[in-house]
Amino acid sequence: MSDTTTRKAHDDIRSTTADVPGRAPSPVLSVAGLRKIYNEGKPTAKMAIDDVSFSVNKGEFVCIVGPSGAGKTTLLRCISGLAQASAGDLQFEGKPLTSVPEQLGLVFQDYGRSLYPWFTNAKNIGLPLTARGMPKAERAARISEVLSNVGLGQVEKQYPWQLSGGMQQRVAIARALSYRPDLLLMDEPFASVDAQTRFDLEDLVLRVRRELGITVVLVTHDIDEAIYLADRIVVLSGSPSRVREIVEVPFGHERDQVATRASDEFLQLRRHLLDLVMPHPSSAA
Amino acid sequence: MSDTIARVPQQIEPNTEQILTRTTPRRRASAGALLRELVVSLWLPVVLFALWWFVSSTSTSPFFPPLSRILEQWWSEFIIGDSVHHVFSSLQNFALGYVLGALIGIIGGTLLWRYRFLRQGTNPIVYFLYVLPAPALLPAMIALFGIGQTRQVALIAFGAVWPTLLNTLDGMRGIDQVKFDTAKAMRLGPTRTLFSLVFRGASPQIAAGLRASLQVALILMVVTEMVAAKEGIGYFILQAQIVFSSVKVWAGIIMLVIIGTLLNYLFVFIEHRVLSWYYRSRALGNS
Amino acid sequence: MNALRRRSLDLLWPVLAIVVALGLWQLLTASGFFRPDQFPTMSATMVAFTDEFTSAKGWLSVWATLQGWFLGLLIASVLALVIGSALAFNSFAFRSAASVIELFKAIPAIAILPLVTLVLGSTLDMKVFLVAFGIFWPLIIQVIYGVRSMDPTVLDTAKALGVHGARRFLVVTIPSAAPYVATGLRIASASALILAVVAEMIAGADGIGRQILMAQNGGMTSYPRMYAYILMSGALGLTLTGAFFLIERKAMHWHESQRNITSNEEKPAR
Repeated sequence: MSDTTTRKAHDDIRSTTADVPGRAPSPVLSVAGLRKIYNEGKPTAKMAIDDVSFSVNKGEFVCIVGPSGAGKTTLLRCISGLAQASAGDLQFEGKPLTSVPEQLGLVFQDYGRSLYPWFTNAKNIGLPLTARGMPKAERAARISEVLSNVGLGQVEKQYPWQLSGGMQQRVAIARALSYRPDLLLMDEPFASVDAQTRFDLEDLVLRVRRELGITVVLVTHDIDEAIYLADRIVVLSGSPSRVREIVEVPFGHERDQVATRASDEFLQLRRHLLDLVMPHPSSAA
Repeated sequence: MSDTIARVPQQIEPNTEQILTRTTPRRRASAGALLRELVVSLWLPVVLFALWWFVSSTSTSPFFPPLSRILEQWWSEFIIGDSVHHVFSSLQNFALGYVLGALIGIIGGTLLWRYRFLRQGTNPIVYFLYVLPAPALLPAMIALFGIGQTRQVALIAFGAVWPTLLNTLDGMRGIDQVKFDTAKAMRLGPTRTLFSLVFRGASPQIAAGLRASLQVALILMVVTEMVAAKEGIGYFILQAQIVFSSVKVWAGIIMLVIIGTLLNYLFVFIEHRVLSWYYRSRALGNS
Repeated sequence: MNALRRRSLDLLWPVLAIVVALGLWQLLTASGFFRPDQFPTMSATMVAFTDEFTSAKGWLSVWATLQGWFLGLLIASVLALVIGSALAFNSFAFRSAASVIELFKAIPAIAILPLVTLVLGSTLDMKVFLVAFGIFWPLIIQVIYGVRSMDPTVLDTAKALGVHGARRFLVVTIPSAAPYVATGLRIASASALILAVVAEMIAGADGIGRQILMAQNGGMTSYPRMYAYILMSGALGLTLTGAFFLIERKAMHWHESQRNITSNEEKPAR
């Protein structure tokens, strides 16, 4: 299809310009002064997020990390439009974000609870497409295309619960990608799979980002994973969250599970991040 | 909380088949194993039936006539005789009442789930009507609708509403919030969410409610035919009792058992087709 | 809004709903929308209710109904628990009995009412038998289900800890089965009430059902009395089922914590 080839050409151009520092395209997502208080006004009020600001540029891979209970998931819910922020300015592609934007894809941690067990894999993936009014034939083509994007073969007619955990998460990713969103949000997507599958899925996401030119924001508690995947890492402090630091990860787009993770830079970054994230008995976190 | 009562989950009443699928692992059974399974499950009823036949054949009790006579009577009444019109009358009322009750139950349950103020407002009434023994209303139905078919359908429908309604409500409430987040993330819109997520997700529980409603409808069908009625299986059995014909009473009971069993099997058959995803996923989970 | 105000507001809703419903009833009947030979007025029904239940008359009928309910429930429960537990432990026994149980469960108890009346007459015995027969079959299924559905991990832990035999039955099996048995009893108690009322209505045994039917036969003037008894039957259902709901929740309070799926009701504060 000429559509896919021109898109790929575009992506190549996009990714090379994004590699050049200083030539930042307009941000896909911009978060300024985000604050989230639960039970606002009541005696049980709890401030989950105090002040978070960062922005995500097109084609970037941003990871969000922080200590347990830092409100990472709350942050993701706010920037996805699933939850309302208490204060702050949220913009998606230049427009204020009030509900879930159309060009946003979401992948949850628990694929088992997110995928619909009464639909086949094909129907699950095609659900957002049906909601957008895509005709049947086009839908079928898109479903098989996106399934090959995530490295799955002929699983259309099967049900999610017939697949392994890793494959289910691939189906969930495929579902999020089916309508070609500009931004992919992932909430600890690999926490529920075993280590080997996790590495496969991490490489999958990197590959998907490369091939489709999509922007990714991924929340994780796994520091190693964050360093491996990200171009930049947003480090949150403990609750109520603020941005502690935004760390640049200079590995570029070519990463290898063994080589990259063993490199000196990786280990340095790791030490630095652990220092930021792990609770210190001495410092007032 | 005002809706605490309805909060206790309506237990999906298990049947023996579910127990079997739960505790015996599902394997590709060999023909021999299947045959063995069949023998194990059938030997007792066959033995009991034979026992009944032989013990009753010499019976002199007026209340327990020989099984052979009972079966003869059943055959001559319902298969070659014209008492079969009782069956048709019963089934007609049953069908109308059950479908009406089920529809109201599902729609009502959905509305109660969707609109919290409605649920809180009607909760005590709904609960009261649910625990009210439906047959108690039969005379009231007679007062309202006379002694025609309407009253019978009305009572059957009334009784059939509550299990379905409460189970629909409960099933919808039990759907994982993550699935709703997913629906929002996919921008499904309210209608599509209702049909693709809510109904589907609640369907196992709704099916359980429909099953319970089936039992209630069956009972009410018979009850309505035993009070101020002119036809139907219940009427047939009661009339037989009044004239002290115990053979006819038994024959009528057998007819009723056959109908009840067939309806149940039909229900389970349809349910297992529609909810095949549910049963297969659970079988996988248990192996 | 503090907790006390929240609780009193929550209580207000149902009270309000009942008041509205009663008011609606009065409105529809007094205005002539429903004729008195179809539906008596709420006020007349309330008068009849007070009449019947401030004297012993009404309560005697209630007592008659409760007797049948209680005895039938007791007999069926004991039998179901004993036979059910015995069956549950032997796989062969259980699989053999399964089809028989299912078959008997399919018989609507009403169907055998005429037969039982033939044999036992319009007596308490007939009522008790009917109730017991009707609720025994689903109850025994529930007992077997409860005993057999013990989590294998729980069983393995018991074995590893050296808990065997009668002690294991008491300390592990019974608590595991308790929620299922509690649910089964709750459902059975509701069915038992229905069967008791039906036996009274159709076979003429003493009790609420008989009063309702007699009132209906007595024509328009006794309709208020009929509805008074209907209300009483509802109140009875409320009390009995409510009691069993409480028991069930007590038996299940630890069990429910195993359900880690968050309901879409518990909305995180937005």
